[in-house]
Parts: sequence; structure tokens; C-alpha cells
Amino acid sequence: MSILSVRGLHRSVGDTQILRGIDLEVSAGEAIGVIGPSGSGKSSLLRCIAGLDPIAAGSVAVEGRATRPGDGAIGMVFQQFNLWPHLTARENVALALRLVRKLPAREADAKAEAALAQVGLAPLAARKPAALSGGQQQRVAIARTLAMQPRVLLFDEPTAALDPELTTEVLDVIRTLAAGGTTMLVVSHEMGFVASLATRVVFLDHGEVVQSGPPATIFGGGAEPRIQAFLQTYLSRVAWTKA
Amino acid sequence: MMQAFIDSLWATAQGLPVTLAIWLAAVVAGMALGFLVGALRFFAPRAVGWPLATLVETVRGVPFLVQCFLLYFGGPFIGIDLSPVMAGFVALTVYGAAYFSEVFRAGFMAVPQGQVEAARILGLSRPATVWRIMVPVMALGVLPSLANLAVILIKETAVLSIITVPELTFRVQGVGTSTFAFAETTLVLALVYWALVEGTAVAARGLERRIERALAA
Repeated sequence: MSILSVRGLHRSVGDTQILRGIDLEVSAGEAIGVIGPSGSGKSSLLRCIAGLDPIAAGSVAVEGRATRPGDGAIGMVFQQFNLWPHLTARENVALALRLVRKLPAREADAKAEAALAQVGLAPLAARKPAALSGGQQQRVAIARTLAMQPRVLLFDEPTAALDPELTTEVLDVIRTLAAGGTTMLVVSHEMGFVASLATRVVFLDHGEVVQSGPPATIFGGGAEPRIQAFLQTYLSRVAWTKA
Repeated sequence: MMQAFIDSLWATAQGLPVTLAIWLAAVVAGMALGFLVGALRFFAPRAVGWPLATLVETVRGVPFLVQCFLLYFGGPFIGIDLSPVMAGFVALTVYGAAYFSEVFRAGFMAVPQGQVEAARILGLSRPATVWRIMVPVMALGVLPSLANLAVILIKETAVLSIITVPELTFRVQGVGTSTFAFAETTLVLALVYWALVEGTAVAARGLERRIERALAA
């Protein structure tokens, strides 16, 4: 039984069709890797699922219910972290617990500390974002989302804004969550990470799902020519080898 | 000549409290009104925002002196019959609010959209997002402009002498008219305004630093 159900999702901006009828069923505990060229609609797909961008047609449902932003069904981690700069790490995590979940301050703080500990940041709870590295900021953002216990977690290029040496700590946290059975969709350009993390990989191009399947198929020989070409280009860029 | 100076200082002592009171009241009321207008122009639909934009542009496009005349001498024709002090307070508040609203509107626009989206997905209500996220985030950016505007408004209070508000300029000029010592009285006036503006500017910078420390890392 699928936990997240996306049906016939269309999104357009003006005359441009960004998403052309995406269908996606995600079961509990699945980690979906969403890959594809720039402008293929990966981020738009996540933003539409989260309800941040309006959809022209189709539906998004979590456990059979239509979602809206802020109903607690979906959590999202952004490329740019989007921490609130005037609040400490603990306050960033605790704010929604207090204002949305209506927990007393002490309980919210305790939960925030626990969530920060889960991403290995308990000792830095009193720091403000400006006093944290990019990787640490992204882990705070993950803790902030985790604390609200969403049914589905969306990661929109979670390491794209980080220096290469800081990506590992963030990827490790996501990997641990996936191993623990968190249902997630991860948009990423880190192919090795997607290959090792995902239970299923979805390749998007021009707003359509070109192919969806296990990593072994997509990254192995079973992929469509368009995907193979994309991966070749990617490899030549990452490994400095000629395509 | 010495007498003119002494009289000017006495007039200053009488006028200064009025100037300060009107200024402070107008800054507080103008900021509140300006925040409301700026927030409405940012959040409300065009049907609300457009008339407000027109109002703001009108206030910003007409000299403050003319606005004072319009309110004080024109007001009674439409049933707004205010005392000089009240008219001065209202005029300065509206004039300040027009400029304050633009600072707040720009402040709202400068809040990174992603931080607002994060709040939305986590389920924060619109008011909570405005008060807990947007206002603190924009505070650092708008503080210098707000302080600058507040200081400018001190100087604008001099215009209120024209509608006989018994403030600093009105009092000290009164000494000039009765003694013909225009140079001396005007010199005193200039020095007092300069001291006032410098004093508030320094105070504002101190306040800025304190808020900065509270908000920044």
C-alpha cells in the first residue's frame, strides 16, 4: 500500500509545461532517488508534492488524503537550508513544536535536543546558523524537519549548496534515515549517493518520467538511451574522463 | 544682543518639549501605521494594495508644508477641525507613515522566500510567520533606514510652526519677530536642531547595535 500517491501531476508556468503528467506511487520505507538533467522538473516535482507550487492538474495524496503545506504529512529539506538566522539551532527546531504542535517550551526544547542529537549536533544546539558550517546548517534543517515527524521527507538537492568536503556529513545523515525506514524522495546530482541510497530511481526529463526502476537497472545497462547519455556526460564531468 | 540669546534659550526651553512630544508620538504612530500599510501592500490583494500605493505616492509627492496647510486650513471644510498641535501630530504621522511603509515593504520583500516556505511547510500560521520569522529577519536590514527617517522627521517638525504649533521654531522665531534679532535667534535654532539630530542619531546607532547583538550570531 503506497504512502505517497502522485497522479497525473501537471504544472505549467505561462506557456511552458514544467511537469507533464507525473505518476508516482511510493510505499512506506522507500527511498526514491529523483535524477535528471537541469530543468527536467525534479525540484518542481518536489515543490508540487510539498504544495509550495500550484499544480495545473492531477493530485497528491499522503495515506489517501490530499495534502496541503503545513498539515504535517510532508517535510522538506531545501538546497539553501533556509534556517531562520535570528534563532539558535535549538530554537529553529523547537519553534514549530511549540507553535504548531503546541508543546510546552521545556518539552519542545527536549524534543529539539533529541532531534539535533539524531543528526550529531547536540553540542551545537545553542549556536546560531551564522556560527555553523554549511553542512551543520543543513543537518539542523534536517533535524527541524524530523522533529515534526512527517510521513514523507523530501530532499531538494540537499548538498548542492555545500563545499564538496561538507557533503559527506549530510549524506551520511540521510543514509542513516533511509536505513531506518524513513520514506523519502531525494533529488540529487550525487549519482554515487543516489545509487547506493535509493530503493528506486526515477529519471525525469522534460517534465516526464523517462524510466523508473531499481538503481542497478538505471545505473547499469538496462537504462534508456537518454539516461545512458545523461550518465555518460555526468561521468565525464565528475571523473574527468572523455565520454 | 545678549538679551536675544537669553530670550532664545528661554523660548527653546518652552518649545523643545512640544517638539519632542510631537516628534516622538508621530514616530511611534507613523511607524505603526507605516508597518500596517507596508504589510498590507505586501500581503493583501491588489484591490487593497493599489489604493494604498496611490495614497503613499500622493503623500510622498506633496511637500510637507502644503500637507500641513491642507489639513489645518482645509480640514474644517470637510469637518476635520483640529487644534494646531493635533493637526501637526496627524500631519507628521501620515507623512512619516508614507515613508516608513516603503521601508517595511522593502523589508518584507527582502526576507528570503525559502525561509518563509520552510515556515509554511512546518505548519506555522501566517501571523506566526510574520512575527516570529519575517519581522526579526528583516529587522536588521530596515533598522538603519527607520532610524534615518525618524531623525529626518525631527527637522520636519520645524514646518509645523507655520500652522502655529508652539514648538521650537515657532517659539524662537517669536523672539526674533519681537526683538528683530533674526540672526541670533536663527543661530540658536540651528544649533539646537543640530544637537537634537546628532543626539538622536547617536542614540539610534546605539539601539541598532543592541538589536543587532540580540538578533545576529
